[in-house]
Amino acid sequence: MELSTQELDGGVTRVALDGRMDIAGAAAVDMKMNLIAGSANKLLIDLQKVTFLGSMGLRSIVLPARAVKSKGGKVVLFAPTEMVESVLKTSGIDAILPVHHDLANALAALQ
Amino acid sequence: MSTLVSPVSAMPQKDIAKPPSRLTLKSQLDDMALLWPWVEALALEYAIPEDALFGVHLCLEEAISNVIRHGYNGEPGHTLSVDCVSPKAHEVLFVIEDQAPPFDPVSGSIPEEQPASSPMDYLRPGGRGILLMRKFSGSLAYERLPGGNRLTIGFDLTR
Repeated sequence: MELSTQELDGGVTRVALDGRMDIAGAAAVDMKMNLIAGSANKLLIDLQKVTFLGSMGLRSIVLPARAVKSKGGKVVLFAPTEMVESVLKTSGIDAILPVHHDLANALAALQ
Repeated sequence: MSTLVSPVSAMPQKDIAKPPSRLTLKSQLDDMALLWPWVEALALEYAIPEDALFGVHLCLEEAISNVIRHGYNGEPGHTLSVDCVSPKAHEVLFVIEDQAPPFDPVSGSIPEEQPASSPMDYLRPGGRGILLMRKFSGSLAYERLPGGNRLTIGFDLTR
């Protein structure tokens, strides 16, 4: 599991996750995600390259997202695969963290 | 270290690469790293389609982590087994057995139609995980065993 960050215009932090968000993958990114959540106010979590998402992986997304939102920030999820999006919808996370497939729309939702 | 137990002691030469039908895991989350290579090998054996394979991984991860975290309450020193059987064409069953106190993840009252009101709802033991298992499996069945539990998760490979 790999994680990279990029600062975009408008104060947006883009976090790109790459790999399997299973138990091991979640453990590998947990600390970094929490650190990022501590400093970001507009967080775009890029899921394009996430090939698997389990409930522990969900936790690694929801907890940092909650931290950002609790300080008045915004979080969006970007471009999950069909199966990953199905996990997000089944668990109801998409009701709390909006999912976008168009980058311009995702960025607009953060403003 | 956990063990992979072959059901047949004397395998024919041509079947040497065949994955064992049983995986035995210790009651610790890091032992779950053994799941992926085992399931990948079974996917080749049973021609499990990619989407179904996603569901197999999802359901097994959820079910087994439930056993370790909640059934065994995170205590080391226990084991659980996962058997893969294919009772008929285009169907595979994963049978998870443990020796934990009674723990039925299937019949719990889950508010399926009601969206979670808080992100913490996803983190409750057995909370949203059962929704994922129901969504991504073909069938779920729980049996209380003498001194343990059995959860059978079925997948229809034609879907």
